[in-house]
Amino acid sequence: MNQENIIKGPAGLGLLALSAIVLLASFGYAITSLSSQGHAAFNATSTVPWGQPIATYLYFALASSGLGLIASLPLVFGFRKFYPVVKRCIFLAFIILISGMAVLALELGNVFRMLWVIPLNLQIQSAMFWMGVFYLVDLVFLLWKFQKMDAGEWDSKTSKQVGIGSFLAVLLASGNLALIFGMMSMRPFWFDGLLPIYFYLTAVASGLAALVFFTYLAHGFSRDNMSAPLRNLLEGALPKFFGAVLGGTLLFIAVRAITGMYSNNPEIHLVWSEYLFASPVYQASLWLGILLPFVLMLMSSLRTLAGTQVLVAILVFGGLFAERFFFVVGGQVIPLFKGTWEWDILSYTPSATEWSLTVMGSAMLFTLWVLGERLLNLSAMPPETVMRGNADEAAATAHS
Amino acid sequence: MAKWGMVIDLDKCTGCQACTTACAMENNTLPGESWQDVLFYHQGKYPSAQMKWLPRPCMQCENPSCVHVCPTRATYKDMDAGGIVFVDWNKCIGCKYCMIACPYGVRFYADEKPLLEPDLRDIFPGSNGQLWSPPYQNPEQDWKRGIGIQPAGVVSKCTFCYHKVSKAPAGTPDLDEDIPELKEYVPACVRTCAPKARFFGDLDNPESQVNRLIGDKHGVRLKDHTGNKPQVYYLGAGAGVPAFEPKPRS
Repeated sequence: MNQENIIKGPAGLGLLALSAIVLLASFGYAITSLSSQGHAAFNATSTVPWGQPIATYLYFALASSGLGLIASLPLVFGFRKFYPVVKRCIFLAFIILISGMAVLALELGNVFRMLWVIPLNLQIQSAMFWMGVFYLVDLVFLLWKFQKMDAGEWDSKTSKQVGIGSFLAVLLASGNLALIFGMMSMRPFWFDGLLPIYFYLTAVASGLAALVFFTYLAHGFSRDNMSAPLRNLLEGALPKFFGAVLGGTLLFIAVRAITGMYSNNPEIHLVWSEYLFASPVYQASLWLGILLPFVLMLMSSLRTLAGTQVLVAILVFGGLFAERFFFVVGGQVIPLFKGTWEWDILSYTPSATEWSLTVMGSAMLFTLWVLGERLLNLSAMPPETVMRGNADEAAATAHS
Repeated sequence: MAKWGMVIDLDKCTGCQACTTACAMENNTLPGESWQDVLFYHQGKYPSAQMKWLPRPCMQCENPSCVHVCPTRATYKDMDAGGIVFVDWNKCIGCKYCMIACPYGVRFYADEKPLLEPDLRDIFPGSNGQLWSPPYQNPEQDWKRGIGIQPAGVVSKCTFCYHKVSKAPAGTPDLDEDIPELKEYVPACVRTCAPKARFFGDLDNPESQVNRLIGDKHGVRLKDHTGNKPQVYYLGAGAGVPAFEPKPRS
């Protein structure tokens, strides 16, 4: 079934070599900088302690959660049309989370200490403690679910139970990740009980972007190389779903922006007026990275085209990465308890080392993905889905 | 056990920053790592413009949000040490969540770009696990309480000079630098304060001067709406932080 996967051929080898070189180079640069300068190699400071590496981790972790949620569409809710992408979803969710964790590991001051101080001290009051627990459970369930798919167990009782467990783990992990920010009443820009809903929506949007991009890349950006059920999905339900999720994301951003701008609290409205909307990068990410893809996905003549879908995926990659960056930094740019001591809102621009971590995470994702495409059958789906897809396509051909 | 508290009288404070200097000397902090800082504000416009200042140590909150968020219990409130909030440098993983959660911005991650050049860490490179090792340093070291010079990758903060305070005779209601037998136990910022704007004592002792001052002079806790309940009280006019204003855009 996978003969049409170009990654299994020489193109895959080339991509593997390229991504591995970028991975080694960026990791080498980051490690050299960190070992020679410590975290002074970062532009994060005591006033803006969380910078781009945290935003990168957030982006990767939520993209992973989004892919986990998409995988639950067929496995938990019975949307069988999504079976052609479920295995790739689960694999991508796993490797994106691993890549995000690698970035986070290099951001922390003492990463290895974490391995014993967290389990030995069990600080259950901390959302960050639960982040570790839930994402660990998420990883285990993803692996378990993948193993079930790999063994051809699509509809067994255990497989369904693992699917439900995985769905719950994803909800807990990404919802709790939102609350790491959303429970901080001293950071009013973040303080929001509905933040988990916003994170679920944007997680699925970034997950869909990753899924669309990597699915097309695996098939050489040509639908002719795809199986019939996968083609049906990309021409039917998936772009509509993508559009709906982007619409929900826009709605959420609009609601947050309107309430934020209306507020008298300078720690909220100044973030919107003086930092987010004052930044051309944020403006571009919002209009070109989220609104334009939404409009493209609304247009029925365009949304089914392969080129449009790949373009939308790439735009959403950029748009949501910027959204994460401005969300993380935006919560810190109004100086805490400093009042007029500070002349202006705090500024933060990522250093070369911080950028190298983002590149490293992305290169790690590409490397692991190519290995996965080459060594595993990520296009596998239940036999009845293949037969139904082929029958649907034959009927459509006869009809035309 | 005492519950240590500080009272700062803003009507007496001259904003001289001797407290900031004494703290840095006592605790060997790096430039910018101001466990004790004096913040200067302007408020209003001519002809009613004001210049205000506010000395700001760690508030050693009764209900510290930094403690709740720490995933490793590295940050903890020690009720057996007068309710002081410490950072255990053996447990801190440098996630900086406590810095996000502290409403007062009194936590520092010194493993960052230097505030001033040349970088003191290059001039006095760290040894024995220290982030930097100046030739003259306080011999007191207690990494479980964040006392001394920290290793790389951890958060540091004011300890109310616990290495001094802990040696005071039990039951002492106030640590007053004017009482010769007690002056060695007084936190550095309190002892050095020339206009005597700072007072340090036991908030649980009804006879303490800090309690009398809070009661008689209407002591207030800053940002009390956060629910963190500081153990630092301010007296006098100007106990508040003007809202942040961005620089006017051209």
